[in-house]
Amino acid sequence: MRRAAAALALAWLAAAATAAGHEAVPLPPLDYEPPAPGTYVLHRIMAAPDGEVLGLDGRPQPLSRFTRERITLLGFVYTTCIDPDGCPLAYRVFDALRPALAARPALRERVRLVTLSFDPVRDTPAAMRHYAGPRARTAGGPPWHFLTTRSAEAVKPLVDGFGQDVRVTVARTSGPPRREISHVLKVFLIDPAGMVREIYSSAFLHPQTVLNDIDTLLMEP
Amino acid sequence: MIVRHLLRATLTAGLLLALVGLTVPAAADETCNSPYVTKLIKGQEDYIYVWTLGVEGLGDGFDKLVTIDVNPKSKSYGKVLGSVAVGTRGEAHHMGFTDDRRFLWAGGLAEPTIYVFDIATDPAKPALAKTIRDMADKTGYLGPHTYYALPGRMLVQALSNTKDKGGVTGMAVYNNQGEYVAAYPMPTEGGGDGYGYDLAVNPKKNVLLTSSFTGYANYMRPLGDLVKDAEAMKKFGNTMVVWDLKAMKPRKVLSVPGAPLEIRWSLNAKDNWAITAAALTSKLWLVKPDAKGEWQAKEVATIGEPAKIPLPVDISITRDGKGLWVNTFMDGQTRYFDLSNPEAPKQTYAKATGKQINMISQSWDGKRLYITSSLLANWDKGGADNEQFLRAFTWNGKELTPTFEVDFTKEQLGRAHHMKLGSKSLKSS
Repeated sequence: MRRAAAALALAWLAAAATAAGHEAVPLPPLDYEPPAPGTYVLHRIMAAPDGEVLGLDGRPQPLSRFTRERITLLGFVYTTCIDPDGCPLAYRVFDALRPALAARPALRERVRLVTLSFDPVRDTPAAMRHYAGPRARTAGGPPWHFLTTRSAEAVKPLVDGFGQDVRVTVARTSGPPRREISHVLKVFLIDPAGMVREIYSSAFLHPQTVLNDIDTLLMEP
Repeated sequence: MIVRHLLRATLTAGLLLALVGLTVPAAADETCNSPYVTKLIKGQEDYIYVWTLGVEGLGDGFDKLVTIDVNPKSKSYGKVLGSVAVGTRGEAHHMGFTDDRRFLWAGGLAEPTIYVFDIATDPAKPALAKTIRDMADKTGYLGPHTYYALPGRMLVQALSNTKDKGGVTGMAVYNNQGEYVAAYPMPTEGGGDGYGYDLAVNPKKNVLLTSSFTGYANYMRPLGDLVKDAEAMKKFGNTMVVWDLKAMKPRKVLSVPGAPLEIRWSLNAKDNWAITAAALTSKLWLVKPDAKGEWQAKEVATIGEPAKIPLPVDISITRDGKGLWVNTFMDGQTRYFDLSNPEAPKQTYAKATGKQINMISQSWDGKRLYITSSLLANWDKGGADNEQFLRAFTWNGKELTPTFEVDFTKEQLGRAHHMKLGSKSLKSS
């Protein structure tokens, strides 16, 4: 435990890596002491939905390939999001988690990270490759999959199934009409059986809480 | 300890016996939603949804969700746009938005049933999307009261249980699809009385705070009978509970005598306190950590003259945490407390807004207030005092000015209870 905490602290201090458009802002400290792993229950909230997604190579695959067999941390994003409490926060938390997970072989082999775009119009596989940068290829840590879909029709059952509210509007206030997306950050912790066990909002999405939850799942009989 | 309990019971019974037409519960509004509820309406609201108790012989007699146009620029301003009846009369009480604000969950205290209204497909015309009927089977709880959004889920605080219909109860969690997830009993050890009423979360501190009222056997009884039953009168909540939100485990039971009801956390990011009103003792209580970080409850103000039993039933905090509206049912007074120093709230304004008043909701900017009249079917006043209304006001910082009123009896609707605000902009895209 102490080793994991140390790795995590190092990860936060070193959280200088950036993705496209993401500032290297240190994560704020957690404002409370979370309960210790295994002292609480993460109930089965719902089954993770399935549908077709595209990997960075553009090849179609079922999302279930990325939400089964391992503990999965999945976050919806759109790569042009600039809300500091939105997609960039998820990216930073994922980024901070990875070295902490890498430091513990037992976790490295049983956890994956998934970033799934709900803006397939702009977030093509090529755009997702740019967004991912070297993180999609870094060896030594748990896999981090960057996914998108063919179309808005393809992603809709996924966002609806997860309950990820997304609003797309056309702003006409000044200049030419422009498409605007709004959403509220939700990150999903999914167990190896494909059940959602926690849904994080920006208020408590933090590497320490996520790591404790992963440990709690791993301690289940 | 026993002496203290006896004194408390005697005080409670004495206060209630002195009542002519008692009261209780309530909750509100745009500044008082779960912190996980998105899309707060920070401009002009278009609609107000009123969860309304059915009255036998009045209209269809069923509980219903009533939609009223509250946009002054609308041609139908101040008019009822429509209503959705649920086909039963189950003591309609409170409501709560899902985190995505697409659905409004509501329920009655007389049944273990939850109604889910779709308010996003057409915010002007809510539709009953789902009825959840398994709460009693899954949990044994009765009388769902508070609906509090968690990410992807709804935390439901019940008031009673199906076994003895007393006040020992708990909380149930459902996912946003309406599927049961888990149940958490209110603590009956460590000073806990097992009762429930309201709940509210401070996510930054991982704290859930709950309050306590009474069970079905009491709140469904005609008040005249209830107050004559000394044993029944002892069965009111005197506690609040501080929970570890993440673990959903009680951390500390706080002694807050006199049925502490609505809980409001300050929305000021720098603050770490909540306030509540104890109905039977007419006191405001502050809940905050002491210098050692230990959660404590402290009586900080008196509401009206407790000897006259004003009965505070709903409170609404301003978005900056600097002011608190308090409705007192018996005297029909709407009071404003300056909360600049939450350790010593000061009443700075009061106005009679009805012969009986219960809920109070305010717009995000605090410029518009809405008040309704009904508490419980068997506890509302009788005769000419049984006004049933929604009254709208503007607030300029000094004076409440009436703007419109809907007479729920004249409109054949029922008893007006809990309110939530709506907007055309929340139509699903």
